[in-house]
Amino acid sequence: MNTNDLLAAGGVTGPHGQHFGPGLGIVALLVLGALGYGAVRLSQRVRLSRPPRRAARPAPPAPQPAPASPVSLARPDGGWAVETHGLTKRFGPTVAVDGVELLVPRGSAFGYLGPNGAGKTTLIRTLLGLTKANAGTMSLRDIPVPAERSRALARVGAIVDEPRFHGHLTGRDNLRLLAAARGGDADQRIDPSLARVGLADRAGDKVGTYSMGMRQRLGVAACLLADPDLLMLDEPMNGLDPAGMHEMRAMIASLAGEGRTVVLSSHLLDEVERTCDAVAIVDHGRVIRQGPIDELIRGAGALVVQVDCAEPARAKQLIEEAGLAAGTALAHAGLTVTLRAGASREAVADLNRRLVGAGIDVYGLREVQTSLEDWFLSVTSRLGEAS
Amino acid sequence: MTTTEPSLSEAGSAPGAGRRAMPRTGAWLPTWPLITTKNLEIRKRRGLMITMVVLIIVPTVLFYGLRLLFHAVDPHGYGLAGSPQFFSQATNLIEEFGFIAAAALGAAAGTTDLSDGMFRHLVITGRSRLALYLARIPAGLAITVPLVALAFGMNCLVTSYQSPPNPTTVSFYGVNAAPDNLNQAELQTWLLQHSQQVANGFLPGLPGGPGAPPASLTQIRTVIDHNIATYYGAYTAGEISGSTPPINEMFKIGLWLELDVGIAFLVGLGFGSLTGQRTTTVIVMIALEIIVTPLLAHTQLPYFIDGQRLLIGVAMDQLRPAALAAAAGPGQGGGGGILLGGRGAIGFPPMPTWAMIAVILGWIIGWSGIGAWRMMTRDA
Repeated sequence: MNTNDLLAAGGVTGPHGQHFGPGLGIVALLVLGALGYGAVRLSQRVRLSRPPRRAARPAPPAPQPAPASPVSLARPDGGWAVETHGLTKRFGPTVAVDGVELLVPRGSAFGYLGPNGAGKTTLIRTLLGLTKANAGTMSLRDIPVPAERSRALARVGAIVDEPRFHGHLTGRDNLRLLAAARGGDADQRIDPSLARVGLADRAGDKVGTYSMGMRQRLGVAACLLADPDLLMLDEPMNGLDPAGMHEMRAMIASLAGEGRTVVLSSHLLDEVERTCDAVAIVDHGRVIRQGPIDELIRGAGALVVQVDCAEPARAKQLIEEAGLAAGTALAHAGLTVTLRAGASREAVADLNRRLVGAGIDVYGLREVQTSLEDWFLSVTSRLGEAS
Repeated sequence: MTTTEPSLSEAGSAPGAGRRAMPRTGAWLPTWPLITTKNLEIRKRRGLMITMVVLIIVPTVLFYGLRLLFHAVDPHGYGLAGSPQFFSQATNLIEEFGFIAAAALGAAAGTTDLSDGMFRHLVITGRSRLALYLARIPAGLAITVPLVALAFGMNCLVTSYQSPPNPTTVSFYGVNAAPDNLNQAELQTWLLQHSQQVANGFLPGLPGGPGAPPASLTQIRTVIDHNIATYYGAYTAGEISGSTPPINEMFKIGLWLELDVGIAFLVGLGFGSLTGQRTTTVIVMIALEIIVTPLLAHTQLPYFIDGQRLLIGVAMDQLRPAALAAAAGPGQGGGGGILLGGRGAIGFPPMPTWAMIAVILGWIIGWSGIGAWRMMTRDA
């Protein structure tokens, strides 16, 4: 069989008399292969969208959290700026956001706290439509997303991770790009935004010459182009020097003071305590506590007393044997006693009586104010014990 | 940063201060400001713009600049700067380098938002991702189209004003000095009337050879009648190749060039958006243009000829305007070697018009669709 015979056996003849060889068959095979590959990928997606099997999860078993604090979760008058129910985001078998129930009241400065890798940034990226959720519902400004994502994001400004821009463009040109994408009158807010973050003098310089702090400020200016109802700032203090942190803190406070909702994601507890009035704590992708900071700390119930006395070691032994406290610790300043949850001030007087009765001189008793950090650590340590 | 600066509130834009209509950021059609700012973003990449100019403008400037200079210095030693052959070669230069430059521009347009971290900011605006992708197309074409037009315009100017006058006779197959502007019947009559000239030429089909007796008049007439269509094709090619293309032919060639370079931009944009990697995209596009296409266009694989026809370079060569394709002489693929144009599609079995259009549209729509799909589904 010669070449022509082979061609005749496997080919077809085109309208111009030219021969289309078995190449057509090869092309058809390629197309079929592509379709098959697409079908496999689709089936993988369908499988991913099902609830994960816990046994397949490689991460250590997440501690069973205490029920989320119910305090102040009744719907506020202004509604929720952020509302999620059962929000889940998986990367392969890893669950980054695990059925998150989050409620952020409008007009609040809200801290989203958690250790590194807890899923804070992933939650924000999911809310903003930067990545797709696998399950659950969410809304921003009472507008469901992703169904009405464009409408919801029209008044949302966000910094996710380190703010990066086109380094070869000036700060103003970068904002022009974003204002063009925003549409409406966003371009008229470029100069006021630059002025507000203190970049008016450097707006004509290329962003490549900006310091980290200046890029953070440009990120805030980009947020302000939306005249946002809701600001979501992911680790905004990262990379800032103390002066920069002070300025950023003042900026966030002033934005919150204007009635805008500010969601601040951070692992810096001190920053969140200074800036926010409500928090949610996230760990292993789950929200384990949320509510106003004061109520959460009060609700923790632990009363800590600093005891300035003679013979602190003997005092510690005495208190432990008497079962007066949940915990004791020797410190440089004396003895720190953590009373049991729900203990009243009467317990402090009882402690004093026992020490004096045992012949230990007591020079002072001081109630220690529980900080957000103390509370956070106590919550996470309880979780650690539970696991 | 200070809170004593003029605030947004002072600018009358505090939250809740006037519930204005929300901009329709969900619409898939890009807005004019979106296109112009994206164009600005690309234009301000100085290195990229210099590369574009070096690849598209400079070769033509050097090609004709040197010829003009030499002719001015020594008119007897060096002929006029322009000619139909030079026109074809310069056009091939623009096409080859323009393809690579446009592909690089497309790759940059498709990847820099990602690599610079701006994609995330853009998505957060709520603007449709499809609109963000589509805005890149006119923004990039607004750069490639004028550059190609400028280079080709120089080519046309030099060819129009610096070419020798068109010959009044046509040479083909060794038959010299046939009058120009003949139709097929007129050519057949002329050949029959000049059978002695024909017998001395190299027309395919004529009997004879070294040592063989000369063909008889009857044999020559029979061969001419039988092969007149082939001869007329060669005559036409010879006529076109020896003449300066008229304005309308130059216009067609210009449109073909813009289409070729525009496709390169769109494919670069789509492939860049798919991979997210500029360097990889540029390397693949260069390999496609200077290695894969010439190899497959010059080598016919009997069992894969339809696969070869799916190559954009082969389809575009089929569309190559006649004046350009024939300029290097009858039977030749184009002006240059394997690198600089002349992919040899003239010698490639022709493909039907519908197939050619389908391949070209397939590359345009296919790669644009792939790029847009990736942009719409990519995690930001």
